[in-house]
Amino acid sequence: MSGLHELLLLCVVLTNFWVLGTTRLSATIRATAIQGGLLAALPIALHPGWSLHIIGLAAGTFLVKAILLPTFLNWAIREASVRREVEPLIGFTASLALGALAVALSFGIAERIPLPESDSALLVPVALSTVIVGLLVLTTRSKALTQVVGYLILENGIYVFGLSQVERVPFLVELGVLLDIFVGVFIMGIVVFHINREFDSLDSTRLTELKD
Amino acid sequence: MRSVLWGAALILSAGAAAVLLRRWARLADRLYATLLLTGGALGLVPAIETLGGNPASTASFSGSLPGGPWAFALDPLAAWFLLAICLAGPAAGVFGTAYLAAERGHRNVALAHALFAALLAALIGVVTSQSMIAFLASWEVMALSAYLLVVFESEQLEARRAGLIYVVLTHVSTLALIGMFAAMSTTTEGRTFADFAAGSQVASTPRTLAFGLALLGFGLKAGAVPLHFWLPGAHAAAPSHVSAVLSGVMLKVGIYGLLRIIGLLGPAPLWFGWTLFGLGVVSGVLGVLWALGQHDLKRLLAYHSVENIGIILLGMGVGVLGVSYHHPVVAVLGFAGAVLHSLNHALFKSLLFLGAGAVVRATGTRVIDRLGGLGRRMPLTALAFGIGSVAIVGLPPLNGFVSEWLVFGGLFSAAGAPEALRFVIVGAAALALIGGLALTCFSKLDGVLFLGQARGPVPSGLEVREPGAGMVVPMLGLAAACIAIGVLPMLVLDPARRVAESVMQVTASPPDGWADAAPRIASVALGVILAIAALSWLRSRLRYARKAALDETWACGGLRLSPRMQYSASSFAAPLLAAFGALAGVPQAREATAFHSHPMDLVQDRAVLPTWRGLEGLSQRLRHWQGGRIRWYLLSVVATLLVLLYYLMQWKGAV
Amino acid sequence: MTLGPLLALIVVLAVAPALPGIATRTRAFLTGRRGAPVLQLYADLAKLIRKNVVYSRTTTPVFRLGPIITVASVLVAATLLPLDGHTALLSFSGDLVAFAGLLGLGRFALVLAGLDTGSSFEGMGASREVTVSTFAEPALFLGLTVPLLATGEFSLAGMLGERLAGVWTTAAPSLSLAAGSLFMLTLAETSRVPVDDPATHLELTMIHEVIVLDHSGPELALILFGNAVKLALFGGLVISLLVPRGEFPGWLAVLVLVGGLGLVAVGVGVVEASMARLRMNRVPQFLVAASALATFGVILLLR
Repeated sequence: MSGLHELLLLCVVLTNFWVLGTTRLSATIRATAIQGGLLAALPIALHPGWSLHIIGLAAGTFLVKAILLPTFLNWAIREASVRREVEPLIGFTASLALGALAVALSFGIAERIPLPESDSALLVPVALSTVIVGLLVLTTRSKALTQVVGYLILENGIYVFGLSQVERVPFLVELGVLLDIFVGVFIMGIVVFHINREFDSLDSTRLTELKD
Repeated sequence: MRSVLWGAALILSAGAAAVLLRRWARLADRLYATLLLTGGALGLVPAIETLGGNPASTASFSGSLPGGPWAFALDPLAAWFLLAICLAGPAAGVFGTAYLAAERGHRNVALAHALFAALLAALIGVVTSQSMIAFLASWEVMALSAYLLVVFESEQLEARRAGLIYVVLTHVSTLALIGMFAAMSTTTEGRTFADFAAGSQVASTPRTLAFGLALLGFGLKAGAVPLHFWLPGAHAAAPSHVSAVLSGVMLKVGIYGLLRIIGLLGPAPLWFGWTLFGLGVVSGVLGVLWALGQHDLKRLLAYHSVENIGIILLGMGVGVLGVSYHHPVVAVLGFAGAVLHSLNHALFKSLLFLGAGAVVRATGTRVIDRLGGLGRRMPLTALAFGIGSVAIVGLPPLNGFVSEWLVFGGLFSAAGAPEALRFVIVGAAALALIGGLALTCFSKLDGVLFLGQARGPVPSGLEVREPGAGMVVPMLGLAAACIAIGVLPMLVLDPARRVAESVMQVTASPPDGWADAAPRIASVALGVILAIAALSWLRSRLRYARKAALDETWACGGLRLSPRMQYSASSFAAPLLAAFGALAGVPQAREATAFHSHPMDLVQDRAVLPTWRGLEGLSQRLRHWQGGRIRWYLLSVVATLLVLLYYLMQWKGAV
Repeated sequence: MTLGPLLALIVVLAVAPALPGIATRTRAFLTGRRGAPVLQLYADLAKLIRKNVVYSRTTTPVFRLGPIITVASVLVAATLLPLDGHTALLSFSGDLVAFAGLLGLGRFALVLAGLDTGSSFEGMGASREVTVSTFAEPALFLGLTVPLLATGEFSLAGMLGERLAGVWTTAAPSLSLAAGSLFMLTLAETSRVPVDDPATHLELTMIHEVIVLDHSGPELALILFGNAVKLALFGGLVISLLVPRGEFPGWLAVLVLVGGLGLVAVGVGVVEASMARLRMNRVPQFLVAASALATFGVILLLR
């Protein structure tokens, strides 16, 4: 089974690249959904014994990350009639190059970071690079909705990181999934916000104007 | 060694002859050219002998000279750079007699020749001197004669401005070198290079200081980004044959100095190798990217020098790291690539600047977008320039390919290393990107200058035609040298390895697989040439296609194409520049019927000059961070996170 | 040197013109049309070399030499690949630099030939072609660095030869990433969708086709043939990486290669049928994505 979880982790990184490279909002959401599915499969691949705990975790993750949140996001797009393009503040090409750099960086950092041994050598670097990509999406995309996606990716990174430490800190992963509630609140905010305000103000660059 | 000094003396006397006989212009030119060529040959012969394996020869003058005996020596490293000087220098000098002949009426041409000769002699002095004062004296003569040549066309504001920036920075460089020698002098009494080598102690403060100052002083001279910004202006303002020597040869003196210091002080510290490597990547990519946006033919070529210095520094960095990590194979390939690329660049960059000079003489402008279709009027110039272009892009079958192959070899052979050295392999991607950008840039330059149709009328009084033999022969000679090295790489690969070993002070066994590649590279080169010949012959045998009908260029079914409708150099480069965004440093403006782009030097115009004007804006900019933009706040979070992670890594290292 | 690599080269050159046909046919089939015959290009080539030529009055010998240099350099580049799975006609350490350099030389010659006509359309195509290839170059080197690192061999014949099969067990993720990256590169280098569309009929949207607008007769034949061989070479790289043929006997290796090339052509056709071409300013992004994939592969091996 050792090959399987490595493959899953590689695909997680590929979905990160996908999010950075795509111009379509719907594709970003699809990518995060697939990433959620991959993450759900990870605990099973890591701990092949069919314990109830693992199964529950996988099923819960799948339900929340792969089905619920993406559906919710798509609903928000429709509801708030957000335009279907990602609006990056730096070019897609530069985002991709930065993403590749992030992967390189996290492999470099993971090698030296003082952490106890985990189940897979890939877990920590993939977690770090996912977190960095999440932050990258958060900082470089202007739409509120893409920022939710960025947050989701960031949180996925934390989830992977939690998996690497699951023996030492049980329930870390479960707590991570709880963070998804935040995402739900975010999306609700967008939808509710739309009911009150014009769609333009979803652009978080406008927050600058709040300055005194 | 004596013969080299005689050669330098002959070159100096060529300058004297040009001044003394200036009344008899033809005679003065003939004598000047003859003396330059003889002097060059006198330097060339012992250089080739030394590179062929002859022991190093020395000469020393004690007497009452300041700073102890002035020692000179011809070892493999000096001989290699002497080769570049004596091949490119006289060729450019001969070109110069024809190039400046037109200006005899209104400028002091004889003085320019004398200064040029002094520059060449000083260059010879720099690479052969073996003691501190002799080195610094030659260095100053070189720097000052180069300055006077840069401001030769002093009525132009642009030339005076470029000259000012150059003269200030070259003295910063000299100052750094004096500091470097001072640092080395703390550990020894003597003032010759041999004394410095003997006095050097591993991991001492003066040694670290010497490496740092060498990086600043020689890095400035070589024009590595971000110390390059004096270079494009100076090389564009000087007369073209002088630009050829400034770009082709004088920049290499910085490379020579770095190699000399590495050889003298023994295994360089790790930071030095990584810094060279980083400087190489940055200079290479940014140099060629900035070249792409230029409108001025000579500025474009000057930025390409920055790129090539980057490739050389990349090779040198790999070499230094190879020594530091005890991988002689990596080191020998890196160093050999660096020195061979230095020689190759001396050849093809001089060739390109001479070609640019021929174009400027014929058309009276350096603005690329005003030119076009020169190939039909100046076929030999176009041919030579085309050969130079293929060489500089690093394509087979010419010489640029051979040296880039060596640098790639250094990068690839680091792959098996267990230490951090293996990460240099990412340099291969940078080098590949440089190659791609250079190809774009030279297809733009060749296509717009020599192909298609003229984009505007030439100024009255000028006629576009092939220049005389005085200008064409030096260009073709340099082109022949480029072809020779490309087709017969075995001529230079062994000497380059010898130079690399003399720098590393180790005799590395020729790495298997790499050592026996020369005949195969030669077969690639010959294969291409033979295949072209064979296909051309087959093509000429086709019965129906032998007679060609002539017609207008296909205008896609529409109106007739006019010369003004041709793609311009700016539009040619626009998509690639757009893809690099602000990094390209070419703000573009689009109007309904016009397209403007204004290249600037990001370092000079965005960093140096603003800093120069004072730091008062700093507080203003600090306030800017508090602007209520979530992105910035998040970015600071990321930055803090990375700093903490770095701290964590360090902390682990301490435990 | 044995006769094997030479025969393999001849076979590949012979089947190369069928590949664009297969791709086009696949695309036509998937979009519900019949499409041109698979062997159409052979007929086109045979007809073109028997035709008269028309040159523009603006052109110089560069225009005529361009296609010749392109084909010559592609042919020499072909001698560097281990087409029979074991050896190449010409092989030395670092020959992948020569491989990239030769393709670059061909592109340089073709672009200059286009610019020689002085036409705005051909200038536009030339500009686009070099822009695309600039971004393709790092992807090619990174993609080939993966087998280099995995096998520790420095020549193309070595890294795609006998040792490759052994390292597939340990470096499978990296090698598949590299193969994916090289396939994306194949699409870009041979002017297929999503980078360029060989079927387009509007000059303003073309890249490769518009450079050769003024070439006719044998020159056009050379260009078409050269592009087909280029497709075969890049397809050959992908196949050699995915199916290590070092253990196979020579004849089987060549047979697998030919079959694999056919599959690559089908793959190209499937891509063409299933997606639209990218906007010009998004093409660099496609190639940077290819580079990112290969970089990831390299990082996995370096760690």
